[in-house]
This record gives sequence, C-alpha cells and structure tokens, in this order.
Amino acid sequence: MAEEENGATAGGEFYLRYYVGHKGKFGHEFLEFEFRPDGKLRYANNSNYKNDTMIRKEVFLTPSVLKECRRIVSDSDIMKEDDNNWPEPDRVGRQELEIVMGNEHISFTTSKIGSLMDVQTSKDPEGLRIFYYLVQDLKCFVFSLISLHFKIKPI
Amino acid sequence: MANATDVDALDFEPDDDDLMDEDAAVDVDASSPRDSAPIPKLKSAITGGSVAAAPKKTKGRGFRDETDAERNNRMSGRFDSLDSDGGPGPERSIEGWIILVTGVHEEAQEDDLQNAFGEFGEIKNLHLNLDRRTGFVKGYALIEYESFEEAEKAIAAMDGGELLTQTVNVDWAFSKGPFRRRNNRRRSPRGQRSRSPRRRF
Repeated sequence: MAEEENGATAGGEFYLRYYVGHKGKFGHEFLEFEFRPDGKLRYANNSNYKNDTMIRKEVFLTPSVLKECRRIVSDSDIMKEDDNNWPEPDRVGRQELEIVMGNEHISFTTSKIGSLMDVQTSKDPEGLRIFYYLVQDLKCFVFSLISLHFKIKPI
Repeated sequence: MANATDVDALDFEPDDDDLMDEDAAVDVDASSPRDSAPIPKLKSAITGGSVAAAPKKTKGRGFRDETDAERNNRMSGRFDSLDSDGGPGPERSIEGWIILVTGVHEEAQEDDLQNAFGEFGEIKNLHLNLDRRTGFVKGYALIEYESFEEAEKAIAAMDGGELLTQTVNVDWAFSKGPFRRRNNRRRSPRGQRSRSPRRRF
C-alpha cells in the first residue's frame, strides 16, 4: 500500500467531526466521532443514564475507508450549505458538524433534530435535510466500523 | 459576518499523534492506570495551528462559538484500542478480519455479497448499509472473515472486479497505524519513507 500518495489524500486533506449532546439531569451526555487525516477514527459516547460509563474507542482506518467517508460527504453536497438559517442549539441539545475537505472548512451547529417534521418547518428545509441525512449516513458508517472492530453495540 | 474572511490553518500535530499512538499501543489493559499519560490533545481544527498553510474558506456558526476548551476536554482522556504494534499493515478486529467493499450497486442484496464473497471463506458478519434518504444501498459493504487468509484472498480476487455490472474495490478496513506519517521517530525499522518532500498542511 502506498502510504502517502494514495486515494484518500487525493484532492487534499480530509477531516470530519460530528458531535451531538446535551446537558441535563444525567450530566453531559453526548456522542462524538472524528475521522482524522492520518486515518484515526475516534469515537466517544458518554451516557450517564443508569450509571452508564463513557465509551471511548479509537482505531486506525485504511485509506480506502477514509476515501469512502469522503465520498459520502462529497455526494451529499453539504459543503455548499450554510447553517445561517438552521435552528440554533438550545437546551434540548446541540449538534456540530465540522469538515475540512480540500480548501474548504465548514463548522456547522444546530439544535437536535427530532424528525423530518423539524426539518420541514425550519427556515432552510433543503439545507437541513441534507445535514439530517448525511449525519444519519455517517453515524451508520461509524457504528458499523466500531461495532465490527470492537464487538460492542455503539448505542 | 466577520467569519467569512477568517483564514484558518490546520495542524494536527503529528508529534502529538505519535504520542497518542504510543498510548494506544499500551492501552490493551483497560484497567491499568497510567497517571503520567500525555493528554491526547485534540488540536482544535477551528483555532488550528498557526503554521503557514493554505488558507481555507470557512463557513458556519461553529467558528463563532467558544467551544474549543470544552471540546478538547471532551476528547481528552484515554481512548481504548485493540493491541497493535502501530506498524503498517491490516489490523485484526476482535473476532476476525474486516474488509471494505466500495462501489457496491445500490440495488445489491445481501445474497449478492454472500455469493460473491462467500467463496473465500465463511462470512461471519456482513453490513450492507442503506442510504437513509433513498433506502437504497449506500455503496459500501463491510465483511468479516475469521481468518486473515480468507480476507486476503477476497481482496486479491475481488478488488477491481465486477459485481452487478459495477466495478468494486476491496481493501482492509482497519490498519495498525496511521497512513500519513510525517516523522519516523519510531516503529519504522525499515525506514521506508517517501522521498518526496513532506506535505505541510
């Protein structure tokens, strides 16, 4: 495997981080994962409910996996969106999506999105829908990777 | 709108990464306390390093908020990983070897994957995830074999091959170490380095 000149680096660097969480009566509960440029995937899930503890896992991915992540992001067209008109994070919760892809760097924040209804009634349903589905696809990808590698149920 | 003109640079501190790798390598025993562990610093991608790099177009409210400290705190502390020597090559997962198939046809069924990949060994696990919007296959599959040899055979035979009229690529999913190393202080006894100048970001 060519270590440095491979597919995942083609087109510039790539970094992705997603966070969703809230602070409530069980403390700060959150889920966060990130794909780092060197291939490291980090996953943290902190749920204090019923004394659940923090799950923190990390594993290195091959360039092929990073490339697929990049493809999912790229196909979604999220980089063209803007969080200007998305619901602001609130007491119910907060989501953050930060992506560096090539020469672009986005860092979007919004509230938790309960369902597509929230998307439809927002001021930017088209953009928020893209965010909504991308986040689900990314979570799905990460949960598969983490659960296959560590044999845990991520949620 | 001051953000629109902000110029950001990224530096993921490869040296810190390496420290973290070292951590990872000894983190097998989750119960072993390590008090002198360097804090895995998640260098904020937002404030970034100040080292010169290509200016990036930034967008989003995340650049406005003062959340770096909290985030660094969140992602500090120890992350568990499986035993790994940090070297190159595929990494074994807890129960077997995982490969990634990309370019999977959106109408593919689990049976199609079973048929194509089952001949290299018993498939212990198959994840064929769906696009949440369309309900069709997202385009990738993760397959687990029990042995290294089975997975290796599948990769050799199927990478670049055809599945349901589409060319698929097949590779290991997990790696023992980072794939873009910018220094070789350790774990590179063979000293294999690209001779091209290091990239800076």
